[in-house]
Amino acid sequence: MNQAILTTHSLSKAFGGLVALNGVDLSVESRRITAVIGPNGAGKTTLFNLIAGAYWPSDGEIRFKGQVLGKTPPHKRAAMGIARTFQNVLLFGNMTALENVMAGQHPRSQYGLFEAALRLPQAHRQEETITLNAMKYLNLVGLGMHAHQNALSLPLGQQKLLAIARALATQPELLLMDEPGAGLNTLEKRELSDLIRRIAEMDITLVLVEHDMDLVMGLADRVVVLDSGQKIAEGTASEVQRDPKVISAYLGEDLD
Amino acid sequence: MMLARVRDRWPYLIAVVLLLLLVLVPFKWFLGQYTGLMVFIGINTMVTVGLCLLLGYTGQVSLGQAAFYGLGAYFSAVLSKTHGINPWLAMLTGAVATGAFAYIIGYLIFRLKGNYLAMATLGLGIIMYILFRELSQFTGGPDGMAGIPPLSIAGFTFNTNFKRYFLVWFFCLAILLLSQNIVRSRTGRALRAIHGSEAAAESLGINVDQFKVKVFVMSAVYASLAGSLFAHHVGHVSPSSFTFLASVEVVVMAVVGGLASIWGAIFGTATVRILSDELLLQFGEWDIIIFGLLLMLVMIFTPQGLFVWLRERWERWRLRLAQGGTGT
Amino acid sequence: MTADQFVQYLVSGVTNGSIYALVGLGFTIIYAVTSIINFAQGEFVMLGGMISFVIFDSLGFPLAASCILAILIGTAVGAALYLLAVRPARKASVVSLIIITIGASIFLRGIAGELWGVDAVRPPFFTGDKSLHFLGAYIHPQAIWIMGVTIVTTLILHLFLTQTMMGKALRAAAINRTAAGLVGIDTRMMALISFILAAALGAIGGVVMAPLTLTSYNIGAMLGLKGFVAASIGGFRSPIAAVIGGFILGIVESLAVGIDWGPFTSAYKDVIALIVLLAVLLIRSGRLAAEERLG
Repeated sequence: MNQAILTTHSLSKAFGGLVALNGVDLSVESRRITAVIGPNGAGKTTLFNLIAGAYWPSDGEIRFKGQVLGKTPPHKRAAMGIARTFQNVLLFGNMTALENVMAGQHPRSQYGLFEAALRLPQAHRQEETITLNAMKYLNLVGLGMHAHQNALSLPLGQQKLLAIARALATQPELLLMDEPGAGLNTLEKRELSDLIRRIAEMDITLVLVEHDMDLVMGLADRVVVLDSGQKIAEGTASEVQRDPKVISAYLGEDLD
Repeated sequence: MMLARVRDRWPYLIAVVLLLLLVLVPFKWFLGQYTGLMVFIGINTMVTVGLCLLLGYTGQVSLGQAAFYGLGAYFSAVLSKTHGINPWLAMLTGAVATGAFAYIIGYLIFRLKGNYLAMATLGLGIIMYILFRELSQFTGGPDGMAGIPPLSIAGFTFNTNFKRYFLVWFFCLAILLLSQNIVRSRTGRALRAIHGSEAAAESLGINVDQFKVKVFVMSAVYASLAGSLFAHHVGHVSPSSFTFLASVEVVVMAVVGGLASIWGAIFGTATVRILSDELLLQFGEWDIIIFGLLLMLVMIFTPQGLFVWLRERWERWRLRLAQGGTGT
Repeated sequence: MTADQFVQYLVSGVTNGSIYALVGLGFTIIYAVTSIINFAQGEFVMLGGMISFVIFDSLGFPLAASCILAILIGTAVGAALYLLAVRPARKASVVSLIIITIGASIFLRGIAGELWGVDAVRPPFFTGDKSLHFLGAYIHPQAIWIMGVTIVTTLILHLFLTQTMMGKALRAAAINRTAAGLVGIDTRMMALISFILAAALGAIGGVVMAPLTLTSYNIGAMLGLKGFVAASIGGFRSPIAAVIGGFILGIVESLAVGIDWGPFTSAYKDVIALIVLLAVLLIRSGRLAAEERLG
């Protein structure tokens, strides 16, 4: 039986008068792929932002590997092993693809201002390690040949892969992916699917927010359905697809 | 074949040539009459590069760099003249004290909404100026302090422009090199990441606020060291060197030099210094009019800074030449 | 401090506070509509006073006409600032715009210094020099003008913002620029209007204050800063709060000098404003930095 690497208990978030999330209980099994789906405005991105630490819950708690996350800032959560990708990619446009991924190695390296300023040997050694690791992740997503190109010069599909490589470089235990399939064509989605499976085989727990039901069906071990800030269903992909509550929540929405 | 290799190494060649020129400047038979000007350019560049880094990597502007400059100058003046402390120790103390002060300010400010650094440092700069002017028992009041002893190492005293030229440029180049090392490192990558996307940087474990504070402190320490060198060079300090306009001058130099540009800082400082000296000679009070125009025009048309813009044009031109040469 | 002195300081505080209020209003309007902090705000005050004097003194126009012309010219400068310096910098970052307005402010100051010299000047009082006696204090008639004009101007502004189509459009743009654009409001026109309003407010303040406090080419800096403090007390969103902030600042400043406490002489008067500024900045932490980055 797998441990739950991430749990939320009565998680709620309100922005002024708007309640984005209302009493959500979640249990993410370690080393599995969990998908979070729901119509627009269901609170999926809010959930991600709460887990990643962009803001704090109005009520309830989040536990990662048993520890309550509370007010831990995002950069500390990254060091703890939570990585994420963004819906709007957010690559560093002022750097090459390789440098973007190298930036991801930040929490796994140590040398600071002093060593850098004086070009001490440990700085040099760590830079070597960082570069090698970054190339490894870049090759993992198939972008090795674009290492020295400016990140934004790549087409959208490859930019999304780069963002994934960058997140992987933080060597996470939990990877949150916010709509990784958005804007990709069929071929790109198939490559993405393969990549996600490969990542799962690396013993990384994955949580995806995704609208493409085919993608979700093919990948997810478990699916959680949110609607208007609440969890309305949970189970395997096929269970959830047949759930009448889920169907009515999507009424009027196109199921891909 | 050899020509190709030379063409690849051209940045190093240029650097060597410039360094050579730099070394030769203070000699009478070369450009000796500009030694004094060059000393000031060296000192001011140290302040400018700090602001370039702050602007380029945190996207914030400090309108109070003159305050840190002044703190360094006054620490050196007071400790070495009034209390007879070793000038080097005084300089170090000033740098540490200014850095600590900047750390507190930075920590408080950077937790707040961005644009406020400008106003907060504006306010701080003016407060420091008023304190320099009013705390006469320490600072000598509006007339300042004179008789500051020069720096010396093992009996060798830096008591001429010629000698101080080398001292100042040693410090200046050291700071530029250290800054470059930092920018090319993990820290520099983190800073560039912050500049690219703060949200993404944070998701990669980068403590954005802390880095911003670090850059701010760095800029303050650079300015403090520069201020100390200034005090020992001119031999006297007065509050009139540390006004709001002095802080604005630093902003003009940084903006002309280029945001996030290290070597561009020399360009920006030299351009503004020479321009303002020449203008003062010819036109009297027109320097602030030109500063204002420069700030507006540069930021409207070349928002990453003039030098950076020029450098990019140069790169593009070179590329076009290279392609033309190989018939591509 | 005696009761009479207290009232006297209060009066002077409210008088100064009126000008801070007008400048603060200008800051708030521009910031609310465009998210720009206009560092040149204080220069509008300077221009109002200086131009009214120059027209009166050098061109020999009657005082009323000089004042009105000065306000019109000041307002035109505000429009020019937006059209020539702000609008061309499309998609500039916040920091770029701050630097542009700083450039504009010192440019205007320099031009004023060149054209009209560095000496302080004083246009004549509107209604003479006889101070009135009120609650144990002397109030100069010009001070009454200042307070009165400020109140009337604020009221007119309020009416404009709430009763006219354009005023409502302006408020819409201030609340949510994107939404305003979607319902057909020309946000660039709104930006221009905000600059025009801010310049007009500043110029009006300058014109009415110059006879009492003198004016010279470099008063813009400090006034701008104090007006900014007033606006920041109002959180940059509420015009009323900016006005109240201005009065609070003026009174606090005046009383602080009056109390004459410890080593602080009146030379430190300006420091009060700055301390208030820093305190306000620290207290108003706004949204979490991390939330900010996403939104």
